[in-house]
Amino acid sequence: MTSPAETSSADAVRFEHVGLTLGENRILDDICAHVPRGKFTAIVGPNGAGKTTLTLAVLGQIKYTGKVVFPGLDEAGRRPRFGFVPQRLVFDRNIPMTVMDYLLSGLQCMPLFLGHSKRHVERIMRYLDEVECTRLADHAFGALSGGEIQRVLLAQALLQEPDILILDEPTSGVDFKGGLICCELLRRVREKRGFTQIMISHDLATVTAHADHVICLNHKVFGEGEPRVALTHHVLSETFGLHLGLPDLHGIPKDVRDCPEDCPLRNEHLHLHDHCHVDGAEHGCACGHDHAHGTEAAHAE
Amino acid sequence: MLNELILRIADLTAKLFPLDCMELEFMRRAMLGLLLIAPLAALSGVQVVNSRMSFFSDAIGHSAFAGVALGMILSLPPEFTMPGLALLIGLLIMYLRRGSRLSTDTVIGIIFSAVVAFGLAIVSRNREASRGINMFLYGDILTIGDNEIALLAVLLIAFLAFQFFAWNRMLHISVNEQIAGVHRIRVPVYQYLFAGLLSLVVILCVRAVGVLLVTAILIVPAATARNFARNSRQLFFLSLAFSYVSCAGGLLISAQEWANVPAGAAIVLLACAMFAVSFVAARLRSK
Repeated sequence: MTSPAETSSADAVRFEHVGLTLGENRILDDICAHVPRGKFTAIVGPNGAGKTTLTLAVLGQIKYTGKVVFPGLDEAGRRPRFGFVPQRLVFDRNIPMTVMDYLLSGLQCMPLFLGHSKRHVERIMRYLDEVECTRLADHAFGALSGGEIQRVLLAQALLQEPDILILDEPTSGVDFKGGLICCELLRRVREKRGFTQIMISHDLATVTAHADHVICLNHKVFGEGEPRVALTHHVLSETFGLHLGLPDLHGIPKDVRDCPEDCPLRNEHLHLHDHCHVDGAEHGCACGHDHAHGTEAAHAE
Repeated sequence: MLNELILRIADLTAKLFPLDCMELEFMRRAMLGLLLIAPLAALSGVQVVNSRMSFFSDAIGHSAFAGVALGMILSLPPEFTMPGLALLIGLLIMYLRRGSRLSTDTVIGIIFSAVVAFGLAIVSRNREASRGINMFLYGDILTIGDNEIALLAVLLIAFLAFQFFAWNRMLHISVNEQIAGVHRIRVPVYQYLFAGLLSLVVILCVRAVGVLLVTAILIVPAATARNFARNSRQLFFLSLAFSYVSCAGGLLISAQEWANVPAGAAIVLLACAMFAVSFVAARLRSK
């Protein structure tokens, strides 16, 4: 476990002996961990481990002991801007409003009954485009599916131009491919905008494939670091209270798992996966790029 | 001076409704009062329905008895004690709702019972006040006074100003308070302001339709508008339209010899009839 002293200002968030007790239950017990700036940090742990509570501490929505430090911002005397996507949005689906109405209601000062501001509409459309759901702009918000609502909420969170984006199990209830697309989409947007991403997840395979940093939490921190290093047999057993095998990467499409960082078509793999030919252990054909020789091969669609 | 001003405006209002019954001065005043009440009820009704606060407005309406009782104890006119107590109770409910682990329904239920019991206990000891209780139960818009009309006008200005700045944010909060808070909307400020204004709106609407029907005058036009509206703008204007039609139409119907019903009952019956039509229309449209 990393002690507060060992972390640097390259961190976006530092937890310094954070604790929280509700009644007789110790929800968070002396949490010391860090979240690297501009990276994807996953918080993993079983149900009731305090994952959501820890993110609420980051958001300042709950009282706790200890400190949650935002290096760089605390010194400048300002709180970070947060984007937040909850696990599930429970709301009155019969409220007459479009997706555009809902997104504008958090941005526009002029009341919606007087019309939509062109400037804000254009900005919202850009963000809806980033999460690939511009077609939903004029749909009734209450008529969207769970996955569509998550995308709209992601667009809304990104509209805050956050320093830190917090997602509470955004892929729960979404099928495997949907989860992968969500992670890839988030990576693309994160790299473009440079925010820090904190995501609660149950899915160790997804975490191992996509996260840069992982915090294993079960009321205490049992381990943190780069997923392939931190998610050891011992840490997983202690965190989940079971003897768990290491995350099985076989569930992840090979083109995503093995694709090198420098592959120019890396972002396209999820879409090409069904059509591409993966050539045994050699990566290269899934993206039409010959990595061994640095030349682009014809795409075998 | 206030009396003259109100009479002039009431005369102008009467020209909108060229009917025999509008020749009577008390009808003109009542119509003016209702035309001020209609937008207050419509717009607060939209947010009451969106935020599921109809029980809240019911509790505030029932605090009218306690307001009268408080006036008796303090020897103050009920025109002051009723809105004062309603405001206090509205803010107290919001405080307990935000700060307590009890459910909103439970918090409101406790306060609701306390204020009704207090009001009945004091009012029932005074025979004269007991007779006047009917006015609060059923409403009596035909006897509305100048001070009440002036108070309604001031409240309408304040309420429209609030809606101008808060309509969008209230919509956002009604979808999810947590997201709104994280995204830098000052949720408690909006909620306390709305609770305070709603309390005043409800207690002044008691004058029009009475304690028993006050929630209906708020929520029925908003619920009717929901059946037709597809977006927030339509919801706003349709709620206003249905509220105006039910308030003005209800008063005019109640004044007809063939109807012979109290204005409050006519207003709410007309509003409910429009809701029934909208409900059928919405069902047919969804098929």
